[in-house]
Amino acid sequence: MSEALKTNDYKSGLKPIWCPGCGDFGFLNALLKSFETLQLKPENTAVCSGIGCSSRLPGYVKAYAFNGVHGRVLPFATGVKMASPESTVIAIGGDGDGFSIGAGHIGHAARKNIDITYFVLDNSIYGLTKGQASPTTPLGVKTKTTFYGNMGMTFNPVRMLIAYNASYVARTFSGDPKHAQKIITEAIQHKGFSFVEVLSPCVTFRGKDQFKLIREKSYYLDDTYDYTNEVKAFDVANNEERIAMGLIYKQSRPTYDEIIQTNVTDKAKAVSNGTPHIDDLLRMFHP
Amino acid sequence: MLNNKNIVIGIAGSGGDGVISAGEILVNAASSEGLFVFMLKSFGPQIRGGESSVRVRMSDMPVQTQGDKIDILVVLSWSNFLRFKAEMVLEDKVMIVSDCDDPMPDEEVPLTESQREYWYKIPFAKISEDLTGAKLAKNIVMLGAVSELFNLPKDALQKSIEKKFKYKDKEIINSNISALKAGQEFVKKEIKKRDPLTFEYEKREPRLVMQGNEAIALGAMYAGVEYYAGYPITPSTEIMEWISRYLPQKNGISMQMEDELASINAIVGASFAGKKAMTATSGPGISLMNEGIGLASMAELPIVIINVQRGGPSTGMPTKTEQGDLMQAIWGSHGDSPRVVIAPCDVEDCFDSTVLAFYIAEKYQMPVIVLSDQFIGHRKESIHPDSIRSQRSGFRKIYHRDTPSEEELKDYKRYKITENGVSPVTYLGIKGGEYLGSGIEHFENGWPAGDVANHYVMTEKRWKKFDHIKHEFRFERFYGPKNAKLGIIAWGSTKGAVKEAVNKANDMGISVGAIIPQLIFPFLIEPFKEFIKNKDRVIVPELSYAGQFRRYLRGFLRFSQYNCKVTPFRKTGGAPFMVEEILDKIKEEWEKMEAAK
Repeated sequence: MSEALKTNDYKSGLKPIWCPGCGDFGFLNALLKSFETLQLKPENTAVCSGIGCSSRLPGYVKAYAFNGVHGRVLPFATGVKMASPESTVIAIGGDGDGFSIGAGHIGHAARKNIDITYFVLDNSIYGLTKGQASPTTPLGVKTKTTFYGNMGMTFNPVRMLIAYNASYVARTFSGDPKHAQKIITEAIQHKGFSFVEVLSPCVTFRGKDQFKLIREKSYYLDDTYDYTNEVKAFDVANNEERIAMGLIYKQSRPTYDEIIQTNVTDKAKAVSNGTPHIDDLLRMFHP
Repeated sequence: MLNNKNIVIGIAGSGGDGVISAGEILVNAASSEGLFVFMLKSFGPQIRGGESSVRVRMSDMPVQTQGDKIDILVVLSWSNFLRFKAEMVLEDKVMIVSDCDDPMPDEEVPLTESQREYWYKIPFAKISEDLTGAKLAKNIVMLGAVSELFNLPKDALQKSIEKKFKYKDKEIINSNISALKAGQEFVKKEIKKRDPLTFEYEKREPRLVMQGNEAIALGAMYAGVEYYAGYPITPSTEIMEWISRYLPQKNGISMQMEDELASINAIVGASFAGKKAMTATSGPGISLMNEGIGLASMAELPIVIINVQRGGPSTGMPTKTEQGDLMQAIWGSHGDSPRVVIAPCDVEDCFDSTVLAFYIAEKYQMPVIVLSDQFIGHRKESIHPDSIRSQRSGFRKIYHRDTPSEEELKDYKRYKITENGVSPVTYLGIKGGEYLGSGIEHFENGWPAGDVANHYVMTEKRWKKFDHIKHEFRFERFYGPKNAKLGIIAWGSTKGAVKEAVNKANDMGISVGAIIPQLIFPFLIEPFKEFIKNKDRVIVPELSYAGQFRRYLRGFLRFSQYNCKVTPFRKTGGAPFMVEEILDKIKEEWEKMEAAK
């Protein structure tokens, strides 16, 4: 038995480019602690991302890490998972990457129940491009591209994910590392598509009081909360005045690779009696 | 010109007339007798119904094209034939077979006086109705009548019908066979043959019948594809349909994604995880995939992308062919992003090109685009079974990625600078090989790099592979004499018409040679320099109004340096080149050369 891996063993050694005080630091630490808790093997772990401040994160993790193109982390991670079902596949992105340019992919990863974990580090701003409105920027907020105040209604990610039938939907806060670590660990362990909205403030473009504001507005779901009840989950999600933290909705259903195994691979093998040789395939072209 | 050993049969009708299945039965019958066949389908844009036509060329000798003119025209509905009038050019002494109960009056049928000479009218629908109670089998009655009239392989037709309906009730098979016989009987009893066409051939070993898209799918399976992600798009969809059915039998996975953006990124992901991955699409899909292709180029991950080109731009003409995606394939993504472009030129070449694509992708860790088109993708050709089984010709090697040695893993650098630009690659599961792959510019170890000097070194690394690829896979097709003063440079599906025209021209005493590259990008200049060195004139035929291929060639070849005049021969897509068109161009250029002497 090899020695247990420690949090530091999961660090790549690359120094983060994030601003001092960025919420993403808290999430990164919590993530690596969860890796330690779960004793994930770096060689069997993929951490993928799109583009944005938070999407720089894979570079800081010792794993099979990938920093792809803007908005496409979910299809990329889907390909990784399908190609290597035994691996733990984690997708990371921000609110712009996930809910704006990449929003079209979320519903499909959720409905197929791809067994990956998707953390959206929501700072409600475009940070890497230095302060433009994102889908979760509150109505009326002045940003560099919304000089007269943000005109669009704020996106409600948790509500969307419940509607998409995601099999695990949770919310946590990078300002509460303990809670974040608990949720991250659970989410990775969940079999199926798990989504976690991680409130991860941008102190540079959304102000230094963000941590304080979130603490004031948020509350923790307690043991009496029934996360299998979809109607209750919607109620919790709909309440934007009080931000619920914790596991909001969960359901159990077969994952995409399980369905492939039972509905496709087994059936196909029964037809072909194993691996078809090129000659077997050629037979169908006989006139 | 009538040739009893090489005939072109055109069948036109409405969608419900069974035109396509009649064509397929005919093609299968001919192939089972060892004939060389070539079949082209043409549809209206309707999903069901509408008009459809099929053109079957069968010959005792190898054929390269669909044949310019129709020798036997079979019409199940004249009003639907009118839609294909431009595509179906008839011989002056064409044989016509039509239903005598067609609502269109004879005088309105668009035939010249001489084309009316051998016009047979047979009550296909009525015979079918009398026999089976429905008009449904009229296409089979037609096959019977036509086979009797022109001596097409009758026994083979019956077998082909039995095979087509083998999963149906015995009753259905029997009623179709009696329909076939009824058609034959009718001709024997009621029709007096007046025309000179009697098909002659020698029976040989059966040949396979394959569509270009199927050949690509089969090639991918042969090369060991493990993961397919795609989004349906005409005219490439058959590739996905085929793969999604047979790949799972080889333990592979095929996924239908939500769009082309997802498809391309999913295969880059699967490749990152160590699997041989591919997708197939058409021009509009490639437009969406370009960012992902650039990602694979930057992250140096092997992927294979099939583009079955259609008429463009935008939605264009989904069911028609064109060679308008050449420049997009080569330069499609932003930045200097190397990718290899291979162009298959016929159905069998679709198989070879796909196998080659996987080889290059895996060996050189980069995206490879196979640039097919609707003309190859949707047509059926007969293929000698050994040509695929025995690896006799073409390129049929399989490659598995180079992974680092134990020693290299100790201080593993994913993007290590090497002599040929290829660095050993790890993937999920290899301990100690963890790295950061990325679309952002990176140092040797994969970490993000904004460093200018590093960007130069890394860009050079990615492009260096080309020097090796173009020499390793050097492959051009040559036709005609090398010392000809008149030349043709063409690519892709234009090959068929060029080859046939070159052979015909040389038979007529016009000395003309042709060169067709398989590897389009990178482009090996030497054989083309060699080719134009002794040429006075070179014709560049292509299905691109903008003349993309000629412009591309001009980037490499200084024709004027060799006193060689270039004659562009640009045609917009839709219909492929006819042999006659190329031959006329050859004659035209030949006369100019003769006059200049």
